[in-house]
Amino acid sequence: MTQYTCLKIERHGKVGWLINNRPEQLNAMNNTMRDEFADAWLELDRDPAVRVIVHTGEGRAFQTGVDVSEIAGDGVGMERYRDSMENFDVHFTAWHQGVQKPVITAVNGLCAGGAFHWVADADVVIAASDAQFFDPHVSVGQVVAIEAIGLLRKMPFEAVMRMALMGRHERMPAQRAYELGMISEVVDPPERLRERAQELAETIARNSPAAMAASKRALWRALELGLTDACREGAKDLVSMWGHPDQTEGPAAFAAKREPVWADPVADSGSDSAPGPASDSAPGPG
Amino acid sequence: MSEAGYRTLVVERRGPVGWLVFDRPEAGNAMDATMLAELERAWSELDRDPEVRVIVNAANGPNFQTGLDVVQLSRDPEALREQSRRTKRAELRISAWHNDVSTPVIAAVNGACAGGGLHFVADADIVIAAANATFLDPHVSVGQVSAYEAIALTRKVPFEAVMRMALAGRHERVAAARAYQLGVVSEVVDPPEQLHERAQELAETIARNSPAAMAVSKRALWRALELGLTDACREGAKDLVSLWGHPDQTEGPAAFAARREPVWTTKATVPPTATAGLDAAPSARPPEPGGPR
Repeated sequence: MTQYTCLKIERHGKVGWLINNRPEQLNAMNNTMRDEFADAWLELDRDPAVRVIVHTGEGRAFQTGVDVSEIAGDGVGMERYRDSMENFDVHFTAWHQGVQKPVITAVNGLCAGGAFHWVADADVVIAASDAQFFDPHVSVGQVVAIEAIGLLRKMPFEAVMRMALMGRHERMPAQRAYELGMISEVVDPPERLRERAQELAETIARNSPAAMAASKRALWRALELGLTDACREGAKDLVSMWGHPDQTEGPAAFAAKREPVWADPVADSGSDSAPGPASDSAPGPG
Repeated sequence: MSEAGYRTLVVERRGPVGWLVFDRPEAGNAMDATMLAELERAWSELDRDPEVRVIVNAANGPNFQTGLDVVQLSRDPEALREQSRRTKRAELRISAWHNDVSTPVIAAVNGACAGGGLHFVADADIVIAAANATFLDPHVSVGQVSAYEAIALTRKVPFEAVMRMALAGRHERVAAARAYQLGVVSEVVDPPEQLHERAQELAETIARNSPAAMAVSKRALWRALELGLTDACREGAKDLVSLWGHPDQTEGPAAFAARREPVWTTKATVPPTATAGLDAAPSARPPEPGGPR
């Protein structure tokens, strides 16, 4: 198991926790953290004891993008990311890593700039009532692209574009993020955020891991395709579960009024069935 | 300073903000052949002006915009023949998006925004509305098809609301407050008389950001409506990298560290897209005119 210096990995029951842990730097992502994300997502996704993953931050910020002091301080600057970014070969979110388990992002405090990667790429997002969302890229001469693109496929466009163009000069409160559907729950008081995230994750963990993985795959792929194509591919996901033990266990448990006993999730069942970026420029599997 | 030579629009500069104002209040600002032609000229003129950092699209009179001038259409269809041809070929040039405007555009909607007026809501980057604004799509109530405006809206806001507007026609209006809930607009200005003042203020705030970074971000985000998620991210990544090495990328952090206002390069320095993203997209997007990009 990897030792982490910029992240904390915890397990609470069936819930795996991935916690941004550079509170002094408002959880800004340096090189080390970037590499650790790649490992941490896979470690939790492959652990059969983990059914749902919660991602949150330590301290007064959830996350604030790339660590600008590292970029400014070592003479290499953004150039270090040129190859990986030009090829969009990045590995720091659950979506990038093809994580099959449900991922809940629990936004505490500041969520700025690059932090939207983990809002856009999560399955479920909740936020503390004191969370604040803003995207300062253009105020410091930077382009915002990937994280806003992910967001605008999932919520009203205008709000995303407004954040992109307002930069650091305006912040969106948690309540407005809730109204717009960027998040599904505001936790008040804010101190209850982790408790509520654990509770929500445990609730989701009561559902069939295999059915959730296939559903997640179908829904994320729908963001790659036109409506009819998305339905066609989704139909394959649907049929892929037929004959799976959970499909008989579910109705049986319901009829017997007992909690179902699901088959263990299959660790790393192969990239073909994983959600995540489409594998080539022809979107979606054939 | 008002631009001479426009009969149906007011085109003027207020500081770093360019204003494009519909000015046929007696006709609900409906678009006749003259306005349709002037719109293309005005968008291009404001977008190319290096002093204009943000564009506000607003209206004189009680209504924002009520679509094609049906009076002219019934009395003098010949005058609109060229526009009909363009409509057929998806070559309209009336909105900022049609004209490939790379400057941020704020639509400031007052009163009725009906039918073809929705082009200017769907195709703006930011939309704010006076508390008295209403949105409706009367096409089907007068035997016309609703397509472009509604299609663009369905990519940007919840589908059901757009479909309901398309089917309810002139018999129902979406109020400003509901448009805010749905994310069609991001701000409701009350009292309505303060709409233009607030639009100017908002535009001046946005004008403090890097023109080059905004233009490239805008390009990346709009293109995302053309492509699947992964392809949009791939193309967006190229946009991101395209600005590395641009002077604004060092000026921004330097100004921030020195707690001073940054001094940006003019917007003409935006690097061209090195990708075929738009052209490769299965869209009816008109070909790019040879603009400042």
